Amino acid sequence: MCVGLSAKVVKIKDKGTVLVDASGAKREVAASLLDHLEPGDYVMVHAGTAIAKITDDDGHETDNLLDHLL
Amino acid sequence: MEALPEQITLAHGAGGKQTSALIHQIFERHFKNSLLTADDAAVLPRPGHQIAMSTDGFVVSPAFFPGGNIGELSICGTVNDLSCMGAKPLYLTCSFIIEEGLEVSKLDRIAASMAETAEKAGAVLVAGDTKVVGKGQADQVFITTTGVGEIVSQNPLSGAKAAPGDAVLVTGDVGRHGCAVLLSRDEYGIDAHVESDCAPLWKPVSAALKAAPDLHVIRDATRGGVGTVLYEIAHQSHVGIRLHSDAIPVDPSVAGVCGMLGLEPLYLACEGRMVMIVPKEEAGAIIDALSVFPDTQGICQIGEVTAEEPERVIMETEIGTQTYLPEPGTELLPRIC
Amino acid sequence: MKQNHQMSAPLRRAIDFLKTYDGPEVRIMEVCGTHTHEIFKQGIRQLLSPKITLISGPGCPVCVTPAGYIDRAVALALDHGVTVCTFGDLMRVPGTEMSLSMARGRGGDVRVVYAPEDAEKLAAEHPEKPFAFLSVGFETTTPSSCLAVDHAIRDGLDNFTLLTANKTMPAAYEAMKNSTDLFLYPGHVHAITGLADVKKMQQEGVSGVVAGFTAGELITALAIAVKKYGEGVPFYVNAYPRVVTDEGSPEAKQLVAKYMEPCDAWWRGIGMLPDSGMRLKKAYARFDAAERYALPEGNGKDNPGCHCGDVLQGRCRPEDCPLFGTVCTPVHPTGACMVSSEGACSAYYLYGGEK
Repeated sequence: MCVGLSAKVVKIKDKGTVLVDASGAKREVAASLLDHLEPGDYVMVHAGTAIAKITDDDGHETDNLLDHLL
Repeated sequence: MEALPEQITLAHGAGGKQTSALIHQIFERHFKNSLLTADDAAVLPRPGHQIAMSTDGFVVSPAFFPGGNIGELSICGTVNDLSCMGAKPLYLTCSFIIEEGLEVSKLDRIAASMAETAEKAGAVLVAGDTKVVGKGQADQVFITTTGVGEIVSQNPLSGAKAAPGDAVLVTGDVGRHGCAVLLSRDEYGIDAHVESDCAPLWKPVSAALKAAPDLHVIRDATRGGVGTVLYEIAHQSHVGIRLHSDAIPVDPSVAGVCGMLGLEPLYLACEGRMVMIVPKEEAGAIIDALSVFPDTQGICQIGEVTAEEPERVIMETEIGTQTYLPEPGTELLPRIC
Repeated sequence: MKQNHQMSAPLRRAIDFLKTYDGPEVRIMEVCGTHTHEIFKQGIRQLLSPKITLISGPGCPVCVTPAGYIDRAVALALDHGVTVCTFGDLMRVPGTEMSLSMARGRGGDVRVVYAPEDAEKLAAEHPEKPFAFLSVGFETTTPSSCLAVDHAIRDGLDNFTLLTANKTMPAAYEAMKNSTDLFLYPGHVHAITGLADVKKMQQEGVSGVVAGFTAGELITALAIAVKKYGEGVPFYVNAYPRVVTDEGSPEAKQLVAKYMEPCDAWWRGIGMLPDSGMRLKKAYARFDAAERYALPEGNGKDNPGCHCGDVLQGRCRPEDCPLFGTVCTPVHPTGACMVSSEGACSAYYLYGGEK
């Protein structure tokens, strides 16, 4: 239900807006749901809104989870 | 002679002095060649071999986009269609439907691009027509081109000739034209550096025909993109086509835009990309021959033809599973779900 | 899209584990439509032993949106002269008489936007025209709609409304919990809501794993789910911690609570679920298209032959529906599950089912 795209914050605009970059595709998205974003942070973008601050390395995370399990 | 104003008016289509001013100062000036005359029809030398003929209408909006414009597109589309049949493009005609109010300077740039692109393809514009319609009855300018080419390949090419074991090649990264046009409409607020792949490909195609005389299929991946072309070939030849998802070349910015909008790059239009299907032992020779041309230097193999699953395009994923490439659908719409 | 990383050793072990699993049979419901789409696109079902069954649940907002909602959106465009802005997903969903795409063909002003905020911007640029945004979606999407209302107030707009059909997940978990052994929870919903609902389910004895959306994340979540299931104790695991935190997004929750309140909602194929929807509060009724244009309650009819409801509840597979692939295809969809690329029927059709 919720296509999300991880993107890098490249610029802080005013009024709760940031410019994000997803491998070369740039768009202004709403950032008022998140505190203290800085250029270089990664966010999960859904429907034009940054919904979570994230790390960009899903591989590392899943490996850690699996290492404990299997 | 009457000077041209800044904008096209209905009078430019009325057949009088202003029409002839437009023709002389824009079209004849750019298209000038010995076969283009003021007579009612072009009289052309007969080619030595069979001819191929093709026609196509161009209504792209906007008319100017990064990497090209509707004029360049109108030549590429038709010369590439001829090239796909192993025909060397020779003669072209063009028909313009112009919306009242179009800036003359834009028309001038469009005509200049057409002349330049035709020359690059080795063809000449031998006849044309101009109509002007009222504001709102067209979107800036629509162009229809018709082309005649001479068949030079020894062995006929056809979408029905793909055979199990053949290699499936694409001459460069996919989906750039569709992405560039989508971005230049600026409907979704996305900014990315993506230029159309728009290019006339007769020279690389003729090199491919020399390098691999037993080439089976060449198809121009325009509207509908590479995915649609592959399904067409799979149906026509009653074969399956297996693709390797990690081998499909996609420009990172195109991938980023597609990621944002939930689109599949294989279904975005290209205007300078050929799908080629060849016996696998000839694939290397074609790749070597086409790598030297700037417009096809990204040529690579993306899959192979199979006897299994006829009429389906199978995608081998990066985790080693196999799924179908979804069949070509309807209007491309961005999705959030 | 390309992911470009080689499969890691742990991921290969997880795939081996899923392929060779020979414990008790387990049914896992992926609640989220985006999960359904990715699972089919990546062919992940091929990696599962016959002991593991995946059920595609009701988490596609397009699929559970009733035909009456589309009818109201069509009425806005054709009868009230409103410019209707929508996510692309809703364009081809059949209403009783027509889809929004057909309404556009009949002269309705229907526009596809990427974000609710884009619709608000259009309204700000064209104060002379009324605009309505089709506000569908779950917890992930609802804050964006509320943000658009927030901006409309900031910009002093009087020409912007929402037609709401927003839904929330917990009621669906409750309604579906007997159709599955455990849930694959929707990561982006819980990015907003946090883990409270998931913990509550565990306390009720219902297990699940919060999952991300890449192939690696899905395989990881499934391996964790199957492994933990074998231990026989109700559990929850957050297998998407790079995005989902314990508390979720307080800002998003506050924003939604400011403008919206829970309401009963009709889920196509499932029925009325109490408190499973969100609507604008009375104080913001001027932004509510249904109030403003006095739209009648939709009593739109679904095609009676359509089995979307059973598919959504895991009671039948898409190919068991008599309309599947014959009358009902992605180009001419009958039921909503065939329209959205996240719908189970569409995913089966496009990517080859259990292939």
